[in-house]
Amino acid sequence: MTWLRLVRGEIRKLTTTKLPLGFFAVLVLIAGIDAAVVMFGTDMDGSKTFISTAADQQSLMAFAFNAMLGTGLFGAIAVAREYGHNTVVPTYLTSPRRTRAGLAQLTAVLLGGGILGLVGQALIIAGVALALPSTDYGFLVSIGGVTQILAASTLAGAVGAVLGAGLGAVIRNLGGAVTAVVLALFMIPPLVVQLVSDASSWIPPALGAVISGVSSDVSVWAALMALVAWGVVPAAAGLLAVNRRDVV
Amino acid sequence: MYPLEIESVTKRYGHEVVVDDLSFTVAPGRVTGFLGPNGAGKSTTMKILLDLASADAGHATIAGTRYRGLKDPARTVGVVLEPNAFHPGRSGRNHLRILADVTGIPPGRIDDLLEMVELSHAADRHVGGYSLGMRQRLGLAAALLGDPSVLVLDEPGNGLDPQGIRWLRDLLRARAAAGGTVFVSSHLLAEVEHLADEVVVINRGRLVATGALAELQQAGTSVRTPEPGRLTQLLRDAGATVHIGTEGELVVRGVGITDIGDRACAAGIALHELIPQAGSLEELFLDWTSNDNTHLSSTDTAVVVETERQAVPL
Repeated sequence: MTWLRLVRGEIRKLTTTKLPLGFFAVLVLIAGIDAAVVMFGTDMDGSKTFISTAADQQSLMAFAFNAMLGTGLFGAIAVAREYGHNTVVPTYLTSPRRTRAGLAQLTAVLLGGGILGLVGQALIIAGVALALPSTDYGFLVSIGGVTQILAASTLAGAVGAVLGAGLGAVIRNLGGAVTAVVLALFMIPPLVVQLVSDASSWIPPALGAVISGVSSDVSVWAALMALVAWGVVPAAAGLLAVNRRDVV
Repeated sequence: MYPLEIESVTKRYGHEVVVDDLSFTVAPGRVTGFLGPNGAGKSTTMKILLDLASADAGHATIAGTRYRGLKDPARTVGVVLEPNAFHPGRSGRNHLRILADVTGIPPGRIDDLLEMVELSHAADRHVGGYSLGMRQRLGLAAALLGDPSVLVLDEPGNGLDPQGIRWLRDLLRARAAAGGTVFVSSHLLAEVEHLADEVVVINRGRLVATGALAELQQAGTSVRTPEPGRLTQLLRDAGATVHIGTEGELVVRGVGITDIGDRACAAGIALHELIPQAGSLEELFLDWTSNDNTHLSSTDTAVVVETERQAVPL
């Protein structure tokens, strides 16, 4: 049995239910909302200065943190439902070496998260590009800027999915895993910043902004490393948990 | 040949001992029934054998190797454990495809198996719409995907119709006849009686009986006496289990027929009948696993059934 076979099996698991389709529908909805904001939204003074420069448009379109949050839910659901439906039993029967099976699952989820992040960002760019002609402004973001936000959302999506998968493996209960992702990415970081102001540069929204090129709180490389750590730590905890605990 | 060996296995959940120093062997070429009341520890024992749960003491092996040490587990051991271990939104065919992907089994075998378990017509429907029997058939198809030499099946007959049970029985017997190891837990005692060559019976996590079913069924003695109370007490003290048979006779297990005669003679108890009796598996099972301490007979004699004592010397 090769590891690639395990990954292929895990990818088939993800693609043979409606889970990816559901997330794709949400991405289309978000892209539609962004397009609507461009078409109908205004600043306080009634102007559309929020899309008047390339930097403004890049900031509006940057999807990295939202991609991370969304794919965090994707990863958590993908893994926790394995326990909920007991499909983890055939998984570990066909691949009793759990670290290898867990790594295959993380790889599949990582790929899925990356694709969702990329597709989500592409849809938003397309939505904004289609909406801009209804305003006085054209599409101002450079090819380099577009490439950067696409890459940033892809990476953030991959990391978010791994983070969610790790939490899903630790918690195993679907509702609990989803709640943990929301807490870890959305609720707890602002509270930590309240206590330790220096942490503000290292929370996912800030890191997502840096790698998307719309902020420079820290260097891009530092942001990349920190972002990866946000995924690796829960993933490692998840692998440790599946190795130590009884499956059922 | 793949014998299964459970050796001094103990498993605790918190303070509760679920499996208690359990040891037995499942031989290849035989169908072995695994019996016990609800909560006796059957599923936990199977999960320990399959490395899904860890033992606190002892070990379980397949041909001397732990499950996770098997080179190709899917082609060695076929398993049915959880009747609902399927994603309800996934089709039966896709469930098998995933297993085939992981194990490298040619996808062409999926259609053969779906046909064998008579699920071809529903293969592309979501499992959530399957009946319990259909899920059980899908689980059996998954277990047979790698054409394994060992089958470990937890309640595989649940939800199957009579034709399905007959098919399963024939399949398992054929597997055993071909030298395979078949280890089946079931609550359907009549079915086990038809199917099993050997039985392993546990109660409260402890082994209470094991051996060839035919021999165990012959291990009872029917006794008629004018002093049932005295004889019951006497035999109970000797380690026997005793209960009242359907015609008012004493049915004694755990002490040989000669020993019963000798003890009755030594105690001056007259015997009107002393004959070997073949018990049904249900009777034996109830003897082995009874949790009552005292059954009152229809007369004024108290017939005591020992619970923790082994019905058949091990």
